[in-house]
Amino acid sequence: MIKYCNRCLYPETKPDLSFDDEGVCSACRSFENRKEINWAQRQSEFTEITQRYRSNDGSNYDALVPVSGGKDSTYQVIKLLENGLNPLCVTGMTDSLSDIGRRNIENIKSLGVDYIEVTMNPTIRRRINRLALQLVGDISWPEHIAIFTIPIRIAVQMNIPLVVWGENSQSEYGGPAAAQESKVLDRQWLEEFGGLLGLRVTDLIGQEGIEKRHLIQYMYPSDEELRRVGVTGIFLGHFFPWDGYTNALYAQAHGFETYPTLVEGSLANYENLDNHQTGIHDYFKFLKFGFGRATDIANNHIRRNRLLRKDALKLVQLHDGQFPHTCLGKPIEETLAEIGMTLEQFNKTCDQFTNKKLFKCNNNGELIKNSMGNLIKINADTT
Amino acid sequence: MSKVAIIDYGLCNLDSMARAVDICGGTPCVTAEASELKSADRIILPGVGAFPNAMKNLQDAGMVAALNEAVIEKGRPFLGVCLGMHLIAERSVEHGKTEGLGWIKGNIKRLEPSESTERIPHVGWNEIDFEMPHPLLSGIENRTDFYFVHSYHFQAKVSHHIVATTPYCGEFASIVQKDNIFGVQFHPEKSQKAGARLLSNFLSL
Amino acid sequence: MLGYCLIFYLFNKVLNYVLKTRIIPTLLYKDLGLVKGVGFDSWRRVGSAMQSIKVYNMREVDELVFLDITATQDSRQPDFHLIDDLADECFMPLAVGGGIKTIEDVRKLLMVGADKVVVNSQAVVTPDLISAIANQFGAQSIVVSIDARKTKSGDYEIYTHAGKTPTGLCPKDMSRCAQEAGAGEILITSIDNDGTMEGYDLTLIEEISRTVSIPVIASGGAGKKGDFSDALRCGASALAAASIFHFTEQTPLEIKHHLKDQRFPVRV
Repeated sequence: MIKYCNRCLYPETKPDLSFDDEGVCSACRSFENRKEINWAQRQSEFTEITQRYRSNDGSNYDALVPVSGGKDSTYQVIKLLENGLNPLCVTGMTDSLSDIGRRNIENIKSLGVDYIEVTMNPTIRRRINRLALQLVGDISWPEHIAIFTIPIRIAVQMNIPLVVWGENSQSEYGGPAAAQESKVLDRQWLEEFGGLLGLRVTDLIGQEGIEKRHLIQYMYPSDEELRRVGVTGIFLGHFFPWDGYTNALYAQAHGFETYPTLVEGSLANYENLDNHQTGIHDYFKFLKFGFGRATDIANNHIRRNRLLRKDALKLVQLHDGQFPHTCLGKPIEETLAEIGMTLEQFNKTCDQFTNKKLFKCNNNGELIKNSMGNLIKINADTT
Repeated sequence: MSKVAIIDYGLCNLDSMARAVDICGGTPCVTAEASELKSADRIILPGVGAFPNAMKNLQDAGMVAALNEAVIEKGRPFLGVCLGMHLIAERSVEHGKTEGLGWIKGNIKRLEPSESTERIPHVGWNEIDFEMPHPLLSGIENRTDFYFVHSYHFQAKVSHHIVATTPYCGEFASIVQKDNIFGVQFHPEKSQKAGARLLSNFLSL
Repeated sequence: MLGYCLIFYLFNKVLNYVLKTRIIPTLLYKDLGLVKGVGFDSWRRVGSAMQSIKVYNMREVDELVFLDITATQDSRQPDFHLIDDLADECFMPLAVGGGIKTIEDVRKLLMVGADKVVVNSQAVVTPDLISAIANQFGAQSIVVSIDARKTKSGDYEIYTHAGKTPTGLCPKDMSRCAQEAGAGEILITSIDNDGTMEGYDLTLIEEISRTVSIPVIASGGAGKKGDFSDALRCGASALAAASIFHFTEQTPLEIKHHLKDQRFPVRV
């Protein structure tokens, strides 16, 4: 049987999550610790750090903000502008960008910032999407790399030492203590917590015609280059109490567009709007660990007393872990065709990464699917 | 595609061999039925374990007669892997003296360290040395590493039956051959690219 | 100790030894997925077993060790279905341990794809099991795994059941007995150093390597390249590691390049 947190709905299978003696998970405890934080002091620290790094004479940017066009990065940009800073916004472009995603990127520009979009060679990128899906069960692996690597590369190239990230996911989602205290995202953090799943960029060389020269934008700068520029990444979520829902409200008030209906497999219409592959990415999380995006969102609301656990459970049971027949309305067959995969190959890969211990199986050990093609967890809550 | 009979005589992991054969383009047929050998294009005798047990199991299953018919009489290409290679010798001294199939002259003896740093069993990746090109080794460079895990070795009596050697405990035969009969001391199904190449070569003979 | 290490090291260089040193990633499985701990405690979930197996297979590592660390204390058998699925993705040798109590467990594991079995707690509880396995399946199919903690007096004591149960037994004696019973290899793990990434326990490795003449796989504490060469100089035949591969940018190949630079025979 799967054990779940007594307060939220995270199962014990989640990587980097731990449960204490009271059966409460580290994400909930981390949130609880926020009460102890002197946010006024943190905000002063933020002002002090940003002032320290800002350009003296306006000849360079005060900070670099990695953005995606989503609610969080929109919020980050607004916050920096409110603090009188001149940030350079950088996007490592997602593949399979949605129309609404494109509009939200344009919206950020309209807030009044300089903006760099870096697009990686899509033919290579799509090979990597497929390879990563088959090798580590994560279609979005190249996205994780892009999100962390592209901004740092630009920071080095343009001599901008301060990089302002959004949330420290280890803090919000309950990672090991050391990580939660960390203000700074360095190479070690990326390797350990960046969701690379054991795969490294150098592993790709020689696979399916991928060569070193195709992977220039994937290469994280060397320690020496980082030292030369003095690159320092900070998490905005360390200085301001982070809440994705509030970020969405803030962003909407500044032109951010939400999806007209609930995003498939989610409880929200205000996030994961930019990329048609995210449905597959979230589905594999469900297959491996027994929880999906709906659980993440429900938990964020539970912790902030916007949702009771028992009500959240009902919502999660309705929406979590659905087979991604469509994502933002785009059929899965089209998304798979873009990366050269058939639905049959996809289903086979799904089975390989499914942790069969988490789902109901028939007497022959085969996974049982309901009428919608969805797997059924052995237990939705701690019994 | 060649039908490759992989003999199941109750002693080991056959899945890996079957998968490796499949990937190399053969049709694996894992079988404990002696009669299946009649229709096989290739025969693989894998094996991990003790010689006396192995011979007994083969006898009990009627495999010895079937093997002699398919391999000696009909000349089907045969590959013995690790213990399977040992079984084609005349005799082994493992756990007392036991007669083997006797297809290639030689006996199975325990590895004896030639230096104090050599540990037995011989476990790990080690190189095979060969001088003459050989169909089983086409596309494989001299001194390529394969995975070994064994405590005994094949001491062949006729030097031209030895295709390749490995420098450990002095030197031992890592590949032997006589006509259509091949024996490899290492595990090609666990030796990644090199092993896959060797198996493909065996299937293409 | 230093003298022995030096002699062994020089011997190695003179012989132009060709048996390659194995670098062996270890995967620890607990209940539902992979974990990694520090000092056999504070187990941290590190993700799905399948993706790790596939990545290591793609990287063509020398060998893999997969251990179900709570099978014995939960009185569970090994999960044969899981091993079957994982072994299907492995084209290099796979050693599997955790919850092995009987010959039948061993037979089933070998049948579903394990190449060797790793026996830990049961080797202490039922020493005859080692010889039974060796007689049936051959010495090369059994690795006896010994987990050791330093005692207050500076000696070592074996702990079983994932580091929970003290036995009062000494690793040196146990490894000698294991060899006599027919074990093919010893996997020696320092519980104190495990997960710390501060280096192997060189004294422990040297002691065991000197005691037996079967291969010794060192485990527990590797955190940087130099740790591996240090352990080899103390007589280890192969080096297992987990945290360094889960949590840093080091890959087994990079370790091997370092070892090659240090003139150790490796497969690159």
